[in-house]
Amino acid sequence: MAYPYTHERETRVISRGFGEPEARTLDGWKALGGYQGLKKALEMGRAEVIDVVKASGLRGRGGAGFPTGVKWSFMPQEKQGPHYLLCNADESEPGTFKDRELMRWTPHQVIEGCLIAAYAIQAEHVYIYCRGEFFETNQVIARAVEEAYEAGLAGEDILGSGVTIDVTVHQGAGAYICGEETALMESVEGRRGLPRVKPPFPAAVGVFGKPSTINNVETLCAVPHIVVHGGEWYRQWGTDESPGTKLFCVSGHVRRKGNFELPMGFPLEDLLYDVCGGFEKGRKLKAVIPGGSSVPFMTAEDCKDCSLSYEGVVEKGSMLGCASVMVMDDRTNIVKQVRRTVDFFAHESCGQCTPCREGTTWLSRILLRIERGKGTEEDLDTLVDLGRQMTGTTICVLSDSAAAPVISSIEKFRDDYLALIRRGEAVGTA
Amino acid sequence: MSETRKPPERESIPFRNPGWAGNTGEFELSEREVRGDDYVGTRPADGGHPSRATSYPYMLEKKDPSAPLFSGSYRERYEKILTRYPDTRAALLPVLNLAQELRGHISQETMTEVGALLDLSDAYVRGVTTFYTMYNKRPVGRFLIQVCTNVSCNLCGADDVLEAFLEHTGTELGGTSTDGLFTVMEVECLAACGFPTAVQINSRYYESIEPGDVPALLKHLREQGAE
Repeated sequence: MAYPYTHERETRVISRGFGEPEARTLDGWKALGGYQGLKKALEMGRAEVIDVVKASGLRGRGGAGFPTGVKWSFMPQEKQGPHYLLCNADESEPGTFKDRELMRWTPHQVIEGCLIAAYAIQAEHVYIYCRGEFFETNQVIARAVEEAYEAGLAGEDILGSGVTIDVTVHQGAGAYICGEETALMESVEGRRGLPRVKPPFPAAVGVFGKPSTINNVETLCAVPHIVVHGGEWYRQWGTDESPGTKLFCVSGHVRRKGNFELPMGFPLEDLLYDVCGGFEKGRKLKAVIPGGSSVPFMTAEDCKDCSLSYEGVVEKGSMLGCASVMVMDDRTNIVKQVRRTVDFFAHESCGQCTPCREGTTWLSRILLRIERGKGTEEDLDTLVDLGRQMTGTTICVLSDSAAAPVISSIEKFRDDYLALIRRGEAVGTA
Repeated sequence: MSETRKPPERESIPFRNPGWAGNTGEFELSEREVRGDDYVGTRPADGGHPSRATSYPYMLEKKDPSAPLFSGSYRERYEKILTRYPDTRAALLPVLNLAQELRGHISQETMTEVGALLDLSDAYVRGVTTFYTMYNKRPVGRFLIQVCTNVSCNLCGADDVLEAFLEHTGTELGGTSTDGLFTVMEVECLAACGFPTAVQINSRYYESIEPGDVPALLKHLREQGAE
């Protein structure tokens, strides 16, 4: 059974269990080498685990790309109370669908990563904050946690090492903002998911006021492999600044949509035309959003010679984010899709900061007016001005995320806006 | 969407879920068949191991707005939830999830009762409940149909799928059909962007849904609802 689509140019490290029903069970996962990383980590000692992860250069896969080993080393060495590890499985960035696949195909990979990370940062409790809508995924991962407990891989005295780590699957209740690290902590504490002002950073004051570390599902999935094979092994893929492999979630107007695990630095054009099979006959590329709804648009021109690494995408004026590549061909109505994106942010704004709470709604209203052919050219200046005022002025980056696609689309697809404003004609139907 | 893509009406029930099997996007296996009953559908009534107690409440078809909070096996699950957190406030979301599983929505009375259980004020519980979109503040139909219309699905025609659901259930957006079976809503990205259009019905995902699939799907649900 082939996972929806696979391609020979993929390097399947964390996704090799996709499409393999056996990989979901504890025995099946062990047969694939599962839990060797945990065993080895417990023998290595905490400092060495952190050193290996640092050496691998693994960067956070949740969007920000912060080096994982460095993040772990921020945790206090001298323990003065509980430490917590949070696994961010609140996947809800539009265009992203990798964590759900990782959890439902390879739940034990996620759990093993959590246990190694928790061991390294001396956490005694792991909360896997799983998105509320993922009923099925929740069952799968929770069942796997139970299996891990039964096999002595979680709970007290893990594998006879004397280490105790509890794991709890915590189900969310539908709020995009809870994917933001401090909002997620608030949510675990039973509060509204309002992001906190930083500093203090989570490593000092995290969930329940205790030192905490939060990692994305995909980041934690890479950890067991790095521990088993070493940091240098992981660096055989990718670039100096972005080592390793990454799941690319491709959606939109390509022939083969899906998750593809590729080395970092893979050429974007090869992803679109080779791995994903290009476009339907007679269609051509119009725009790409390379990292989920929060990042600036790229034009077809920008996509030329673009390397899919954190630094490579920045060079082209956008961001890799969580590598959610949303592809739009020439029938796309950019204004409509930007408006839809902004509607999403308006819905998901937590309402704490004025620029975001008011700004997202204003953007949405102005865009809707333009979409209906009642906009003016002045509106475009207002949108850009408003977007700039929403950038860097709030507690978290949701506001910046809402502004980025608006500003970049006006810059790069101005003609689409002008067609609506001057002639009332939409470019594209999708 | 475009005229080039007019899917035929399908007669089979579209349980297609390309994440699960096959690269054709056309298969009839449910998760239950792929994975076995142990993984999907069955669960110890008391919630099993405490690590599981905080997760996977179902969106049950049958809802009982006057069910007690909590008795029997639900009481056991509630008590297990409390053991997983250092304070009772943190149990609020899992307990609200449990209450919604039982009652189908979170009414003002439910908020008060949950607050009394966890020693939190009415206002606090209301603040939290209204923050999260998955808590239904009003009763919903037997089948809660949520269609993703965010960008990835939208590019592939999600608006038409939503339109088809509204047309064939005869409801307005956010409303419940007169027979009490269907509530149709828009939902933000369901994280199934590679398989557009993604639709969630109660706790189940239906992926790669096209407008032509809708009548067969609703027919199936109606039969299920009549049981």
